[in-house]
Amino acid sequence: MSFDVALIWETLPRLLDGVGLTLLLLFSSLAGGALLAGPTVWLLLQPRRPLRLAAQTYVWMFRGTPALVQLFVIYYGLAQFGWLRDSPAWVLLREPFWCCVLAFSLNSGAYTAEILRGAIAGVGDGQREAARALGLRPRQIFRRVVWPQALRLALPPYSNEVVGMLKTTALASTVTLAEVTGIAETIAAQTFAPYEVFLSAAVIYLLLAFGAERSLKLLESKRWSL
Amino acid sequence: MSDIVGWLDEYAWGALVILRVFAVAALLTLIFGVIGAAAKMAGGLSARIASAYVTMFRGTPELLILLLFYFGSAVTLTAIARLTDPAAGFVDIPPFWAGALALGLIAGAYATESFRGAFLGVDSGQIDAARALGLKPRAILIFVRLPQAWRIALPSFGNHLISLMKDTALVSVIGLNEIMFTAKMATSVTQKPFTMFATVAVIYLIFTTGLTTALRALERRANRHLVR
Repeated sequence: MSFDVALIWETLPRLLDGVGLTLLLLFSSLAGGALLAGPTVWLLLQPRRPLRLAAQTYVWMFRGTPALVQLFVIYYGLAQFGWLRDSPAWVLLREPFWCCVLAFSLNSGAYTAEILRGAIAGVGDGQREAARALGLRPRQIFRRVVWPQALRLALPPYSNEVVGMLKTTALASTVTLAEVTGIAETIAAQTFAPYEVFLSAAVIYLLLAFGAERSLKLLESKRWSL
Repeated sequence: MSDIVGWLDEYAWGALVILRVFAVAALLTLIFGVIGAAAKMAGGLSARIASAYVTMFRGTPELLILLLFYFGSAVTLTAIARLTDPAAGFVDIPPFWAGALALGLIAGAYATESFRGAFLGVDSGQIDAARALGLKPRAILIFVRLPQAWRIALPSFGNHLISLMKDTALVSVIGLNEIMFTAKMATSVTQKPFTMFATVAVIYLIFTTGLTTALRALERRANRHLVR
């Protein structure tokens, strides 16, 4: 057993082929998560209890279970329902890619909603009072005062969510997708060189995570003219 | 619903395996976190090593680290076994230990940061006061710094423990017979994949909710001097 540097140079280009799919999964899931987070946080802020409870249940369920289990419930589980298999949605849901996007979006939506809820709560009451004193209507207060400030507060925790989602996309390899981890598993099985292959993959993820963190930091430091 | 009744004992055994992985990994998390935090505060080379450890384990997918540990250790052990006996077959670390070690190292990287932050977060006035009372550095560490650091670290450390609980699902990938395995087995018999995997989700939900409740009680206890 030895550490084969030449093998790393052979492996890296093949692993890089998977970066496209990893990033596609990441961005689709984040976009799906953001779409779900909007209505969820709106429900979380409702004064009426049943509405709030529905959103709270969703957040609790998806933050309280492993993403891998969520993925398996969707990927293996949905086939149990005959009516679903006969429905047009099955064209998408039988594809591992769309199962991943669905599972990861639901997961990300729960986390993102919780981040946004925390950020909205973090905007000082003085801001709301001042806006009311200026005669702004409740809708205006939310859209022009609370929401822009909440988004800024949400950025640092959202950066954690992006890195977390990047790591979650590795689970796609368990449902046959050939993203970075999936390709790494295949090469490792062929070459019996797990150190070289998995460490190369780890370096790729580290660089991606670093890139994601940097770009969100940049977004944070930018002065937003509203 | 009736499908799972016959499988409940299997799920219970699988759940027990999950709890055992969690217990070992949580203990390792505590150990690696304390070592990491101490190394970071010591400065110099050890701090650089600790920083590299934290970056490495926080920036790569948990699944990848698990695969690296399990298959890496297998290749190493097999090579060592072949040195003494060229005919030796495949030797591996049991998935349980490879998994618990990998998960402990991952959560330990997160705990390193919480512990360091908490230790530095103890009010310096407390330490001055202890010194003025004539306490020795060791006594200050044990009776003043650590108990207060613990209180500060508890919320974030608790969150890392909850993440750890969820990460235990990954050990199924390296072949440990836990609840995911039970679900797969039950599915192949009953052809009810949704029911079987949803049961796994429910078990995890119970575990994480129970853990959250326990941690909240622990936090309340740690902060009991602040409530009047």
